[in-house]
Amino acid sequence: MTGPARREITLSVNGERRSLTVAPRKLLSDALREDLILTGTHVGCEHGVCGACTVLIDGRPARSCLAFAVQMEGHEITTIEKVAEGGEFSPLQQALHDHHALQCGFCTAGIIMTFQAFLAEVPDPTEDEVRDVLSGNLCRCTGYQPIVAAILSAARVMRGEGQA
Amino acid sequence: MSGDTLFTQIGRALPRKEDRRLLLGKGRFLDDIVLPGALHVCFVRAPLAHARIVGIDSAEAQALPGVIGVFTGADLARWTTKLRLEPAIEGLHPVQMTALPIDKVRFQGDPVACVVATDRYVAEDAAELVVVDFEPLDAVASFEKALEPGAPLVDDSLPSNLVSHQTFAAGDVAARRDEAFSIVEARFGLHRHTHAPLETRGCLADWDAGREHLTFHIGTQAPHPLRSQLAARLKLAESQVTVVSPDIGGAFGQKIALYREELCVAALSRHLGRPVRWREDRLENLTSASHARESVCRTRVSVAADGRILGLELWLTEDFGAYCFYPANYMARVVAMILTGPYRIADYAFDVQVALTNKCGNGPMRAPMAITSWVMDGTIDAIAARLGLDPVEVRRRNTIRVADLPYTMPTGEVLEDVTPLETLEAAVAAIDVPGFRARQAEGREQGRYLGLGLCTVVESTTYGSKFYKAAGIPGSGHEAAWVRIEPSGAVNASVGLMGSGQGYESPLSQAVAEGLGVTAEAVRLQMGNTDVAPYGMGSRGGRGATAGGGTLYLCAQKAQAHVLRLAAHVLNLNDATGLRLREARVERLLDGDWQPTSLTLADLARTAYLDPTALPAGMAPGLDFSLTYDPPPMTYSNATHACEVELTPATGELRIRRYLVAEDCGTVLNPIVVRGQQQGAVAMGLSGALFEEVVYDADGQNLSATLGDYMIATATEMPEIEILALHTPSRRTPAGIKGMAEGGIMGAIGALSNAVNDALAPFGVVADQMPLSPQRLRDLLRGATSKNAGKVPPK
Repeated sequence: MTGPARREITLSVNGERRSLTVAPRKLLSDALREDLILTGTHVGCEHGVCGACTVLIDGRPARSCLAFAVQMEGHEITTIEKVAEGGEFSPLQQALHDHHALQCGFCTAGIIMTFQAFLAEVPDPTEDEVRDVLSGNLCRCTGYQPIVAAILSAARVMRGEGQA
Repeated sequence: MSGDTLFTQIGRALPRKEDRRLLLGKGRFLDDIVLPGALHVCFVRAPLAHARIVGIDSAEAQALPGVIGVFTGADLARWTTKLRLEPAIEGLHPVQMTALPIDKVRFQGDPVACVVATDRYVAEDAAELVVVDFEPLDAVASFEKALEPGAPLVDDSLPSNLVSHQTFAAGDVAARRDEAFSIVEARFGLHRHTHAPLETRGCLADWDAGREHLTFHIGTQAPHPLRSQLAARLKLAESQVTVVSPDIGGAFGQKIALYREELCVAALSRHLGRPVRWREDRLENLTSASHARESVCRTRVSVAADGRILGLELWLTEDFGAYCFYPANYMARVVAMILTGPYRIADYAFDVQVALTNKCGNGPMRAPMAITSWVMDGTIDAIAARLGLDPVEVRRRNTIRVADLPYTMPTGEVLEDVTPLETLEAAVAAIDVPGFRARQAEGREQGRYLGLGLCTVVESTTYGSKFYKAAGIPGSGHEAAWVRIEPSGAVNASVGLMGSGQGYESPLSQAVAEGLGVTAEAVRLQMGNTDVAPYGMGSRGGRGATAGGGTLYLCAQKAQAHVLRLAAHVLNLNDATGLRLREARVERLLDGDWQPTSLTLADLARTAYLDPTALPAGMAPGLDFSLTYDPPPMTYSNATHACEVELTPATGELRIRRYLVAEDCGTVLNPIVVRGQQQGAVAMGLSGALFEEVVYDADGQNLSATLGDYMIATATEMPEIEILALHTPSRRTPAGIKGMAEGGIMGAIGALSNAVNDALAPFGVVADQMPLSPQRLRDLLRGATSKNAGKVPPK
């Protein structure tokens, strides 16, 4: 192994304390996937554009390919694996399914993480707001239209306004 | 095989079976497969577009801790055979390539050495330490330059860079020119694209030295053809290679061929006796995977005074890049063959040239014939503009009508069960052309520039083996399937396709369920493993529904017929007349009504497997069925796209105000999945036409190597896409399926461009080169004058 020596670090991921030994340059995305076997986070570009690797750092969406794992000590990381506890879809996941808002599914986890956070902050967004936030996540399959519809529908459900 | 619409499973809006795992983050993509001890590969790539390889010094890289080895083209040549493409096509030069270049590199990004290390980070470190001594050569970075006399040769074995050249003529275009009221010429330049799936390429090779067997994990659209190539090039028997495709994060045609990197990884796993894996990074994907579409078409059309087309000529030149993973005529030829599409044209000639250049090699990208409908409908708009006719009326006068069917195109392609006039009228009515023209006129008075574009698409789909034969392309278009009812009554089925995100599992389950007489929920598709699936031709060319679904449907019908023969025996009937299977229960026709019997598929399966002595004489135990099917030479879907744009002349900004598609793709297996394909294809077409562009400088340096430079449309740019669905079944295919999913790109490129040119009309300029970026539109408008708005600001 070249470069500075590997370090033992402890990360808080999905509410659990996890110890791992990583090189300082190891990306958070790689540490999650390879060391913690949380493979639901996908790596699409490794330069921060595509948004597929989006996770929550202290509740806020962030590109896990633009952070080093060693920087994450003391922060709370949330990944797609935490969203559906007990295997039950969140309202957003359910809406994405209902609206056929995914095809290959490679970008999907990043979109879910982005909007789990956004809808918690902005429960009643306009379509323009949804499209603006969604513009940080590239989807090559759908044309975004069903994703936008699903997010707006999930927001309604989460506000207690039922399906619509 | 008619337009039987009494389906119970086909046509259901069954949600996608893939969604659960993908939404939960539990999909299984290539990188999610872990093999202990796997080594990682990183390729050393050429920094120059064209150069001799004088020497490779890897000593420093080899000395790095964690590096297992550095391998060059000479090493790989010992373990692999060359790829040689030499189909017997007139005007197509045979070409060949080694696993890695040995003597020279042909584009920036060409792999020259392969580093193997215990870790991907270390492999990348080591790749930077490999010193390659290059002797630069002059590069040709455009087809114009490549075709100049005395141009540097991309492939030294060829007489020139013109790797393929075909001509064709039907009727007498010269005579039509002589008779013409007017001769109209038009140009259409489509720029270089790349597929850019969200998941890049990658593979994991696992050589079992004891069994002498290679298991090759790779996201591939065509597992069996890939296995054939891999085995041949490793000098292994096809029984020594298993290809396994996990979930794929998009492919769009980029994951069909066996690429050189993948061959290297497989060869190195065998050489080293360890699992070896490669994950392409995004820079490699954008610069070195495969590119597409860069071509220029010119048309010359002879017309009567009323806009009727008398004769059409096409000149097409494609920039194919540096290497041929497909015969060089493969994509361009389809454009030329189907160009006339929805229009009555008997006199037609084409000249198709394909040039090698010092750029990344081309591959078929979703709608390899993407430019076709733009060229044809753009030519129609040019006719309307020249003659001062209504573009809708010119379309009507030339469009094939139901009474013309079956219609044989001048190239011999046969259109049946298509409805181009119906989709045209549906789109024209929905977009409200008179209302639009009024708003457009009003807008122009206020200095607002609206444009409306129409584009009618006849989308070639399925590509049966007769088409391949007729087109001189090696390969087959047949497909294979099996259906097995297990002893418990569980239904497994397989086919030689592999989805890359389309969502095959529900619609193909529906095809099986319809044929067998069960519910689609009860069917499990097993795809992507060459030891499990039958040898099929994979996913490409809009063949999933007709070839894949059709073969499964026929195979399942065969299974049902067998099951009912067994049911008749158990029920003490003479034969199976008046029996059917519905929702896995045998029903009997009594007094004109279907009545359930007590027999279920599970009962019959138990008998077939576990009580063979109870079977009728001559019936073999088990319920295991297989079938192959060769679809028609071609099936055709059709559509008309309508697009309304607003152009801001001062900035070149383009806004899509409305987009709709009237599409007739025959019997639909699953409307949810079909709508997703329609919208997704339009979006991909618009994204390409507006933003995406692979840019090379004059020296062949790729300037668009990140997703910040190669811009894929985001949610803020893409419009709502309205779909008007028509369903005219094909009378030639099982269940009337036609295939679709590429036409949206053809229509989007054409409708958008026609709309932009409609908006540009007051300025007297024509956009004939994509992408229609603000910069390009500003270049066109700079200094142009509109009758209404006066002179456009120069900057």
